[in-house]
Amino acid sequence: MIDAFAPRYLYLVTFLLLGIGTYMMIGNRNLVKKVIGMNLFQTGIFLFFIAAAYVEGASPAVLTREAPHVSPLPHVLILTAIVVGVSLTAVALGLIVRIYADYGTLDADVLWEVRHDD
Amino acid sequence: MSTLEFALVAFVLATGLATAVLRDVLGSIIAFAAYSLGIAVVWVVLQAPDVGLTEAAVGAGVTTVLFLLTIAKTVRPSGERTLERLDLPALGVAVALVAVLATTLGALPPVGGAETPVATSEVTSYYLENAYHEAGVENVVTAVLAAYRGFDTLGEAVVVYAAGVGVLVVFQREVFA
Repeated sequence: MIDAFAPRYLYLVTFLLLGIGTYMMIGNRNLVKKVIGMNLFQTGIFLFFIAAAYVEGASPAVLTREAPHVSPLPHVLILTAIVVGVSLTAVALGLIVRIYADYGTLDADVLWEVRHDD
Repeated sequence: MSTLEFALVAFVLATGLATAVLRDVLGSIIAFAAYSLGIAVVWVVLQAPDVGLTEAAVGAGVTTVLFLLTIAKTVRPSGERTLERLDLPALGVAVALVAVLATTLGALPPVGGAETPVATSEVTSYYLENAYHEAGVENVVTAVLAAYRGFDTLGEAVVVYAAGVGVLVVFQREVFA
């Protein structure tokens, strides 16, 4: 059991981060915290990719370093994903600022009631 | 697992958990900045220095500034309680998700093994063997990002541009007036 688990524990960390992110997106009432939860969920998936590329004893994918190297492709995909994630966060936070300007609250429950009364 | 790796993972999980349970949004943002910094070091330990640099600059830097600006423009809920009240349905969903995902753990290749599908892939060896001749860059990550998958990066630039336009549309210039 332990022998099967020890080399894969980083994947378990990924799953736990996905769990924390999901909890934040559903459980927290504050919209800003929901966005933080989304960011946390993303980094969980990043960890999955980077852990999949990792090879014990290999050097980074820079050719001046000695072979073997780790695979560069997952790193490239995650670099792109990080930048896209920031764009997403910026738009989400812009919408949150507008919501606050119009409704005066960031609480999802209060917001729902206000919308319902209109 | 080495002691360093174990300590880093414990730090990342602890700050991630603190982000979720702290009631004060400012506290949550600071915990998330610490989390980003911790995960940036994890990338370096896992031999992904390019990702580590980007995460430290963008994840811990830019994202934190964006969150702080939002707090400054809106509201920071204050209360006597330090911790958020536990939401049981959400906790149930999260635990169910982790449980379902955990059943796949045994089927995944071990982390760090030389025989994993990623390490033995043809794509990986092609990039590592030909990047210098074909792109003239010694950093293979740069070669793949800017040359082999340049269109991917162009798409990324389009997303950033669209996000910029989106934010301007949402604010309708009033914030900048």
